[in-house]
Amino acid sequence: MKFLVGIGSKEYSEPTLNIGSRIAKSFGADLSVVYVGPKPKQIHEGRINLVRDALANWEIYHPGIEILKWAFDYLHDSSFLEEKEEIDVFHPENMVEEKGRFRMVLPARYGQTISLILREGDIIGELRRECNQDDYTLTIIGGSKKRRMAHNLIQYIPTSVLVSENVDLSREYKVLLCVDDSEATKRAVRFGATIAQNLEMAVELLTVSKTTHFGSGYRGAARSAARYLDSKNITYNQQFLTGDPVRTFVKVAGDDHIIVMGLSTQSPLKKFFVGSKPIKTLELGNCPILVVR
Amino acid sequence: MIANLIYWITERRWLFVAFATGALLFLLPPPSGLSMAGYRTLVIVVVALVLIVFEPIPLPAVAMLILAFEVIFGIASPDMVAKSFMSDAVFFIMGSLMLAVSIVKQGLDTRLALGIIRLTGNKTWKLVAGFTTISALLSSFIGEHTVAAMLLPVALTLIHYADRDPRKVTGLTSLLLFSIAYGSTIGSIGTPSGGGRNVIMLEYWSQFGIHSITYLEWMKYAYPILLFEIPLTVLILWWTFKPEKKILDTGVRKLVVKVAKSGRMTARQILAIFVFVLIFLGWVFLSDSIGLGIVALIGVFLYLALGLVEWEDLNRNTNWGVIVLFGAAISMGFQMRQTGAAMWIAHLTVDGLSSVISNLPAIRGTVAVVLTTVLSNLMSSSATVAMIGPIVLNMGGDPVVMGFTTAISSAFGYFTVVAAPACMIVYSCGLLRAVEFVKAGWKMALMSIVVLILVSQLWWPLLR
Repeated sequence: MKFLVGIGSKEYSEPTLNIGSRIAKSFGADLSVVYVGPKPKQIHEGRINLVRDALANWEIYHPGIEILKWAFDYLHDSSFLEEKEEIDVFHPENMVEEKGRFRMVLPARYGQTISLILREGDIIGELRRECNQDDYTLTIIGGSKKRRMAHNLIQYIPTSVLVSENVDLSREYKVLLCVDDSEATKRAVRFGATIAQNLEMAVELLTVSKTTHFGSGYRGAARSAARYLDSKNITYNQQFLTGDPVRTFVKVAGDDHIIVMGLSTQSPLKKFFVGSKPIKTLELGNCPILVVR
Repeated sequence: MIANLIYWITERRWLFVAFATGALLFLLPPPSGLSMAGYRTLVIVVVALVLIVFEPIPLPAVAMLILAFEVIFGIASPDMVAKSFMSDAVFFIMGSLMLAVSIVKQGLDTRLALGIIRLTGNKTWKLVAGFTTISALLSSFIGEHTVAAMLLPVALTLIHYADRDPRKVTGLTSLLLFSIAYGSTIGSIGTPSGGGRNVIMLEYWSQFGIHSITYLEWMKYAYPILLFEIPLTVLILWWTFKPEKKILDTGVRKLVVKVAKSGRMTARQILAIFVFVLIFLGWVFLSDSIGLGIVALIGVFLYLALGLVEWEDLNRNTNWGVIVLFGAAISMGFQMRQTGAAMWIAHLTVDGLSSVISNLPAIRGTVAVVLTTVLSNLMSSSATVAMIGPIVLNMGGDPVVMGFTTAISSAFGYFTVVAAPACMIVYSCGLLRAVEFVKAGWKMALMSIVVLILVSQLWWPLLR
């Protein structure tokens, strides 16, 4: 299993890196940290490359490299990486250019396999390219104020997506499993349960119907989710609520839950024009949200 | 599958916008007074403009599109397109990109650092003045991105030693980096070899049979502007960005130590400087007969033959896509003139504005400056001159004055990161925000326009 964490800056990426590395560790997954920086206009690209060569002679490196260095140190300090040998092996000269991106070659293993990658361009496009190059299960990324970003993340990233919106590292999070009769709900329940079990988080099982009548599909899905949690010995609280699903998810989640839900099965065209429950939840919510594909 | 298709479409939406606009215009009848070939050339210009500004596809692909459409739309024969594609201006752009690699690879930046520090000492304002002056003077001969590549490490080293946390010295950072960016930009107007856009204008003058301007003549027109702008740029930058440290004692000392480690000047470096002096003399004395581009290519030959640079380095660092794009843009400019499209737009603009303002010469100059400045900030200065050069030369009035006005004002792209290579280079180090370009840029643009007007009104008439 391999997870991808997208980071943007030291100031804003700490929660993303923290939550991403903890989840990766709980799954025993390999982790790739990718920094996506701005791309120079094509018309100036060659000149920028020349300048970067000149800067490297002065041991001044691409600005993204220092963010990767920060991420590497952070993962080490937060005990994601277990120090086995000399840790000071991060050297900018070890960046190799391959497949349209830069990758830091780390000469030793640190108890967990990690890749540090630098890309330039539009964040969604670059994360997509990265996902197409490797077999990732989950992409973890920080929240964004851009409304369209929520749509693009869920619509175009070809893996499950965890958006670490408004993460407070001192807070004790619970997992809010949103259950309905969609195909992806089963996978969402399994994913959410593993996170809750390994990170010792409480679980809320929530099924929301627009009317007071809960159809057999909804009831069956909720029963199946409860059975799965029972089989894993995970304690949970189950709720059946009536109302607009998205607003109810957001209200119940508040800011101290990680919302876990399955990807909508609507057609991509409909999602593009109308949106979907995960997209709207991400737009309205104020807490991390994991959309399982 | 459908999601991938939607993503592909959204990622390339500007390609569809460009094609849809082009198709729509293509189906409309040409306006009166404009030939079919001229109209179709303008359709290509519109499509190319959208593609260059928004970059939905690689730039070389835009170049291929321009050249192919010129033939397919019946604007010119394949041979004519090929002839208009390759010119001395394209040779110059190719040569200057390669010369930049050759010069930067010599490691002369440490010498330059030492020279500036010896000249300025450790006071911040003197360093800013030194960076601006050296950038301006050097870039007027060897091109702005070469100078920015050599001076950027020096400035970044000083910033690094001023404080390890760059967030604590943002004012100083902006001050030093902008002194390089704006210094290089204002310097690039000084001589034809200062930038590709100058040579593109020379090419248009020559193609249109208007006038032949020598290297020294260009300097007579443009250098006074550059000299006036140097102190004004220092004042504007000092006024806009307040440095956290007025003296950079530690930084300067550590920089001197760092430079000292690189040892004495080597024979290779001396030879590299000697070759460049030869190239410069070639530009001054031979460019009239053999062209600026050929002189630049001879320089590249000498660097390669003397083993001062490897072909692999040149090949890796030369942006061939840009060369092809400028070739295509110049070809398009040539077709704009041949088909009468440039003349038609020029008349349309001047006639439209003269109904509002009666002072025609003022309109012409203003239109040239405004159009060039706006487009430079959106695309790049060289691409702008390539596109609108033929139009302004057809606007009437003295074509030499109009050409200089356009070429010089194409350097006024101070507002955005994309306009000038030097601006993009300092931005790429990740320490500046795009909004800072606006903060200082409007003052620089205003100052530059005033200086241009003054010099063009008071000095240029004496040269005609």
